[in-house]
Amino acid sequence: MSKIHGMMDVGKRSMMNSQTALQTTGHNIANKTTEGYSRQRVEIQTAEPTGLGNHRIGNGSKTAAVTRTNNPYLEKQIGKEQSSLGYFKGKSEAMNRVESVYNEQQNKGLNTFITDFFNSFRELSNNPESLATRTQVKETAEFLTKDFKRVNNQLNEIRKDIDQQVATNVDEVNQLTGEIAQLNQKVQLVENQGGPANDERDRRDLLVKKLGEKINIRWAEGHDGSVTITAGNSAVLVAGDDAKRLSVGSTPGTETKGEGSYDIFYQSSKDGQRTNVTSQMTGGAIGGLLEVRDQNIGGLLSNVDKMAYSIANDVNAVHARGFDAHNRAGQEFFELPNGVKDASANLNLSQGILRDPMRIAAAGQPGSPGDNRIANALSQLQYENVMPGEQSTVDEFYNSMVGEVGIQMRKAVTSQESQKGIVDQLKNIRESVSGVSLDEETTKLIEYQKAFDASARLIKTADEMFDTVLNLKR
Amino acid sequence: MRIADKMGLDQVNANLGKNRSDMADLQNQAASQKRVTKPSDDPLAATRVLQTRTEIGAGKQFLKSIAQAKNFLEYSDQSLGELSEVLMRAKELAINQSSDASASEETRKVASTEIRNLFAQAVQVGNRKQGDRFLFGGFKTTKPPFDAEGNYRGDSGEMKITINKEAKVAMNMPGDRIFLGKSEAVPHRMGPPTTNREDFDPRSSEEDSVVARGPASLAMRTLTGSNIDLNLKSNDVPKPETPPVDDEMPKGTDVFKVLRDLEISLKANDKSGVQESLDRLDEALSQVVTTRAELGSRASTLTSATDSLQKGQIDAKTLASSLEDVDTFELVSDINKTESTLKASLATSGKLIQPSLLDFLK
Repeated sequence: MSKIHGMMDVGKRSMMNSQTALQTTGHNIANKTTEGYSRQRVEIQTAEPTGLGNHRIGNGSKTAAVTRTNNPYLEKQIGKEQSSLGYFKGKSEAMNRVESVYNEQQNKGLNTFITDFFNSFRELSNNPESLATRTQVKETAEFLTKDFKRVNNQLNEIRKDIDQQVATNVDEVNQLTGEIAQLNQKVQLVENQGGPANDERDRRDLLVKKLGEKINIRWAEGHDGSVTITAGNSAVLVAGDDAKRLSVGSTPGTETKGEGSYDIFYQSSKDGQRTNVTSQMTGGAIGGLLEVRDQNIGGLLSNVDKMAYSIANDVNAVHARGFDAHNRAGQEFFELPNGVKDASANLNLSQGILRDPMRIAAAGQPGSPGDNRIANALSQLQYENVMPGEQSTVDEFYNSMVGEVGIQMRKAVTSQESQKGIVDQLKNIRESVSGVSLDEETTKLIEYQKAFDASARLIKTADEMFDTVLNLKR
Repeated sequence: MRIADKMGLDQVNANLGKNRSDMADLQNQAASQKRVTKPSDDPLAATRVLQTRTEIGAGKQFLKSIAQAKNFLEYSDQSLGELSEVLMRAKELAINQSSDASASEETRKVASTEIRNLFAQAVQVGNRKQGDRFLFGGFKTTKPPFDAEGNYRGDSGEMKITINKEAKVAMNMPGDRIFLGKSEAVPHRMGPPTTNREDFDPRSSEEDSVVARGPASLAMRTLTGSNIDLNLKSNDVPKPETPPVDDEMPKGTDVFKVLRDLEISLKANDKSGVQESLDRLDEALSQVVTTRAELGSRASTLTSATDSLQKGQIDAKTLASSLEDVDTFELVSDINKTESTLKASLATSGKLIQPSLLDFLK
């Protein structure tokens, strides 16, 4: 047989459950737009019934747990795809700037200046006696060297900017890992007390994904609920409540990396050795940026250097066989750079020609002001396969370089777009699982309000029943 | 499928963003009238456009060079026209003075002074200038090629002008060929223009073939039928031009010598000498006519080169345009399409965002 007290108890618990559920609904609605939030559910179970003889009388309900609706595998997949999205984003943003160096659709560039340069020799061969045409040769050659310097300079500027971006990203990585370590601690603390740490886990999942966007990481959750995060192959960034910092520093140049460009260092303990982990950073925005900096720009710079050196070397070689307007044997036309490396930055006209354009050797023999054979030979260099390997002319070499930049850029952009499509699709699926729906929450609101009302009615009924019992005596 | 509120909103955002960026792209194209505004828009087209620009740039210069060379050639031809008139007049005088019927010692003396004038006139023609450059001095364009006695101070240099990627044409006729009858340095020069590579390979150290190599080595080269350079490759600087050759050349006629001899014969009242001069004057005339014919053939080579270059320029420009310019009709229809898509997205978005259960509860 049941008791009136029991009824009141059932009503009271039910009201409390409804309140919990209503508050959770409110929490859901409030966090409808919170990034990375997973909707939460109150798990209401039947309370332990009371046994009375043959009967087991229900004791109402109890709140078992507040859980979040979340698919961890989906989250992991999103993390991975978001990491490659970060990579392509970093790459296309950096390549975009590289492309502008080579964009001759709008500005004059090397293509124009090379043509002008060789054309000036053709003009010289029309009129080798004239100071005006010689000055023109000098000037177009100066424009050419200036443009080589511009390309070199701009590429190096982009490198420096990328360094700054890498440094900023590394800072953000450190902030993220710090917060993740704190969340690890909280999750452990909360879950030791029983219930799941929903909000902390949501936040941590979000931060891990953001971290993946910056850098290539692997992560796994341990039994104690904390995640361990490794960047690259060996740099353990987060373990338990401990976060290790990454740092950047200038290092000497290598074949493709510029002098002084940043490397990324990992320090496993406070007094431990700093380890260079740059080569492991192949993903995320940092990976994309580093790739553009070292592979793309490094390659482009070395190609521009090759061009500058080949032009200087071949023009000098032909020029030296000629005679200038003073009947002296041809000197250097360009000051030959010391080596192929940085040739584009160091390419200059020789002092002699800068001072006196009459020293340009147009003639094949001395004492022949009208002799244009060397001028002809110089202009003909435009159509010679002068680039290393003797497979291409300067123009072809440069044009294919521009094509290559265009292709790389296009690849980065289309990859980014399609990757964004994938991530959007996955996020959509995630929202479908974890996202808040107002319709749903409104329904729950009504549902639990009604349950609350009914439970209150139950208590009121029990109260009236008490009254009835107490009035029996009168 | 469960639909959360954020899904719809995200989708609206993504779709509108895409439509708007498509629209911005198209508007950019419309404003610049260029389909390719940066290499990544179409890397292949961008590369081809650069190639055509190089072609167009060089072509412009070739056309400019040709125009200049033509000018030079025409002026040379005109001057040689004067020279033939001089020779004709000399011949007329010689004919008049070659028989005793019409001439006497007196008339011959008068004629000799006229011949002297004609001689000076021929020297003048030889020293004709275009701008600051002497036409007939070979490479020595800054000093008069002939002195008052008709001695040649120039050389046999031919100033060759690049008329397209492959070919060159000499724009001058050295005075020794016209006035001294020195035979052509390169026998086949009269025909089609030489290829650039043939006469000067910039990568080889032996840079000159025209003057330093005699006809003999060229003949051998033709015999072997290949481009093998028979001359020893040496790093020496090209040898200075050998002093001008006078009348040792077997076939040539020294115009000045003919005139001078005629003058002497007239002065000396040497009738047979005058008669002898007649033949030599004919030879001199035909020598001038031959060189003029060669100039003419070069001029026509230049004209046809101009034609083909101009055609090439137009072709290159058309190609570049087809690669990088927008097709306006296509663009406008694309813009219309994108615009209607955008409007549709906006309309459906409005519907998608608005209602929720809350709107229907009182």
